[in-house]
Order: sequence, then C-alpha cells, then structure tokens
Amino acid sequence: MNKLTEKPIYNDEIVKKFTLATVFWGVVGFAVGVFIALQMAFPELNFGEYFTFGRLRPLHTSAVIFAFGGNALFATSYFSVQRTCRTRLWGDGFANFTFWGYQFFIVLAAVGYVTGVTQGKEYAEPEWYADLWLTIVWVVYLVVFLMTLKNREEAHIYVGNWFFLSFIVTVAVLHLANNAVIPVSFTSVKSYPLWGGVQSALIQWWYGHNAVGFFLTAGFLGIMYYFVPKRAERPVYSYRLSILHFWSLIFIYIWAGPHHLHYTSLPDWAQTLGATFSIMLWMPSWGGMVNGMMTLSGAWHKLREDPVLRFMIISLAFYGMSTFEGPLMSIKTVNALSHYTDWTIGHVHSGALGWVAFISFGALYHLVPVLWKREGLYSLKLVNMHLWIATIGIVLYIAAMWVSGIMQGLMWRTYDDMGFLEYSFVESVMAMHPFYLIRALGGILFLVGALIMVYNFYKTIKGDRTEESESRFKEVAHA
Amino acid sequence: MVDWLANNAGTTGLLFFFGTFLVIAIWAFRPKAKQQIESYKNIPLAEDDA
Repeated sequence: MNKLTEKPIYNDEIVKKFTLATVFWGVVGFAVGVFIALQMAFPELNFGEYFTFGRLRPLHTSAVIFAFGGNALFATSYFSVQRTCRTRLWGDGFANFTFWGYQFFIVLAAVGYVTGVTQGKEYAEPEWYADLWLTIVWVVYLVVFLMTLKNREEAHIYVGNWFFLSFIVTVAVLHLANNAVIPVSFTSVKSYPLWGGVQSALIQWWYGHNAVGFFLTAGFLGIMYYFVPKRAERPVYSYRLSILHFWSLIFIYIWAGPHHLHYTSLPDWAQTLGATFSIMLWMPSWGGMVNGMMTLSGAWHKLREDPVLRFMIISLAFYGMSTFEGPLMSIKTVNALSHYTDWTIGHVHSGALGWVAFISFGALYHLVPVLWKREGLYSLKLVNMHLWIATIGIVLYIAAMWVSGIMQGLMWRTYDDMGFLEYSFVESVMAMHPFYLIRALGGILFLVGALIMVYNFYKTIKGDRTEESESRFKEVAHA
Repeated sequence: MVDWLANNAGTTGLLFFFGTFLVIAIWAFRPKAKQQIESYKNIPLAEDDA
C-alpha cells in the first residue's frame, strides 16, 4: 500500500482559529507597544491607575510573546505536524480545548496586569491561578502533539517537529520551576515564591533567557524548517546540519541565563559560565541561519518573485544579526555598558520584530490561502508594501535604541575631574527624548504594516483577488 | 560513589553532556548514512496541498 497516495483529512479548523487569534493578538500587542513607546516620549499619557506604563508594559510583552507568538506557534505546529506525519491531528476536542484554554489564559493574565496583579517576574508576571490554568492547557498541548507523532504514517520524525517538541517540553519545565509559589490563601491572588534572594533571581533568568531560547527561538525554528522549504519548494540545505543545529542549540542555550545577572550577587563563576555558553551559541545560531538561507541555493530568483519568501529570508537575516549581538552583549565588559540601557530593548526588538514576527508573517501569508482554500493571496503588492514598511520601522526602532542605549550607558559612567558623576539621571532621560520619538515612529510603521496584512487577509478570505496577484499566480504556475 | 559525583558534578556533567553531543554529531555525520539522512529533508515536500 502506498501511504503517499492516501491523503488523510487534516484538522485545519483548529489551525484556522489559531491563525485568526495570531493576527488579532498581534495587532493588539503591537498597538499597546506603540502606546507605551509614546508614554516614554510623552509621560503625560500615563493616565489613571490602570493605564500607566508599569501596568501596560507587561501587557505589551505578554501580548506579543505569548498571545501573538504563542498562537502563531500553536497554528504552525498543528499545521506542519499533521503534514510531516501525514496523519490527522490527534484529539479534536483536546485540540479545541487548547485553543479556548489558551485564549482564556491570555485574558486572565491581561486583566491581572492592568489591575496590578503580578508576580513581578519578567515574562512570568501572571499570578499562581493563571499559572496553574496554563499548566493544564500546556500539558494537553503536549499530549495532542505527542499522540499525533505517535500516529504518524511517516517513519521519520521531521526535524521541524523536534524543534516544536523541545519548545513544548522545555517551556513546561521552565514554567513549573519558575512559578513554584505558595498562595497567601485560595481566595487571594497574591503568592510568594519558594526561592528567595539570588537563587530566585537565577531561576527567574534561567526561565527568562530560555523563554527566549525555546519559546522565541526553538519554536520559531520549527516554523522555519517547515515553511521556508515549503515556500521555496526546495528541501532544506542540509538535513545533517539541521540535526547538529538542533542538538547544539538545546544543549547550549539552557546554560546561558546567568548573563542577565552580571555584576550582581550571583557568584562570579556562574556569571562567567553564562557568558561562555552565550558566546558558544554563535555557532548553532549561525549554523541554523546558514542552513535556512542556503535552502534557496540555486534558486535565489525566487526571492525576487515572492514577497512571502522575502519575509522569511529577511527574518533569517535578523535572526543572524540579533544572535550575533546577544553573545556580544553577554561579554562582561560590553554588558557593563549595555546593561539596564535601551540597547537591551533594541536587541530584544531586532529579534522579536525582525526574526519572530517576520517568520510568523511569512508563515501566515503562506497559511491563509491554503487554509481557506483560495488560489492565492488577495494582493502580493500589499505583502511587499507590508514588508518594506515594517522593515523600515524595525531599522528605525533598533538604530534609535542603539544610539540612545550607548549614549545612556556612557552618560551614566562619565566622571568629572573631581571624581563626581558628570550627569544626573534625569539629564540622561532628557537626552533620550528624540530617540524615543524615532522609536515610536518605528513602532507605528510596524503596526501600519500589520494592519495592511489584516486587510489583505480579510480580502483573501472573502475570495477577492487583484489582477496583479492573479497574473503572478499564472506566471508561477506556468514556470 | 554518590558523594564523589556530588563533589565533581561540574566536571562529570560537562563530560557527560559533551560526550553525548559528540556521539550524536558523529552518528549524524557518519559517511555511510549520508544518503539516508539527507533523504528526510524531502518530507515537507511530499504532500502537495500546501
């Protein structure tokens, strides 16, 4: 029996739901980001109790990482695991539960943030009751994914699924360890952590950095390993390199967290260990980037023809850039200048906007016509417009943060002849104002790009097609 | 044995993980398996609906 000729009926309904949720939360998360960027430039925008920067900032980070990024990972992992295993997603009801359960978690966390309920841990702000709920949802996600792998009709588990699985498992472990807390009572939203002092800080940054490593990197590499070859209609450059990429990335990443605690009361050896492993990360990161980009080897013309593929390849360029910058910033002498400054914010956004969001946009543009069974997107011109507006936005954002961050770091460490600090803190804040404006402009452009995508998706799902897009489709079909 | 491991956890851990990694790397890059392993990269291209 030839399994290849038998086509299973995939569960695409669940992928559709997660796709729409990704787009919705993306726009919400980007809009809150623009608003808090404007709050930095114009402090009078902090009004009332609920809409201050301190409460909206975790709303922004959680909305973009967990709501936008998380839903993108659910959508793409559910989509690609079915196709690479040639079997239907296991447990329709359970998969549906992960959708509604995850959206409920997002709302539960967000309501907490604006009302001042927080654990005060970066990227782990939700309190104990939301954490427990997420644990249930996440375990069901793991079971759905594992059972689908178990039911596979393809002998080999494709490498993209390894990345997705490592993301699901590691995030579960990180979440449990970092949220080990004791609630004040069952009716209280407040809890206290089991760990104290520097141990608590270390576990928090072991969690925090691996949220970047496994949520924002391993998971999205799972997207890259499926959607780049799919879009380019070419297999990945080297499968053996992808095996090496996977194991070296997960073996090294898990140790890099202490670089967030340089020059603190964390033992010096642990700081050096964190920095050393961060520098070692250069190799798997760049190995993976090269593997993704070289998939186009011999077919670079596709980049000229397909703006969706362009999104994916630019995302890999940003991945390479931000994974070069990260290890650089983990070197203690560089960190002495960069830490606590806007440089860190710029670094995070070159990774988050350039890599995470762009690879997601690429995957979404590929997914929407397939899921809604349309011949192609409404307009490829609009995709191209989104691409360039968003790219200019990112470049404005990160360049502004480089300049303002390095300036800030230098102002903080300048002494006069008498050994006194040359600048007061408020002088450094005032000097950053122009860069805050440029950053806000960059964010606005990024948001405008996303709104263009929403319009394009709306028209695509409706079944509309521009002439340009239709003729382009015919050209490609005849090629 | 347990005491010795506890006192030398750093070194033994490093050797264990690095050793495991080397075994995986050598296994993946053994010349005999090249064709077999590289053939897996066609999995995403096998189905044609997307």
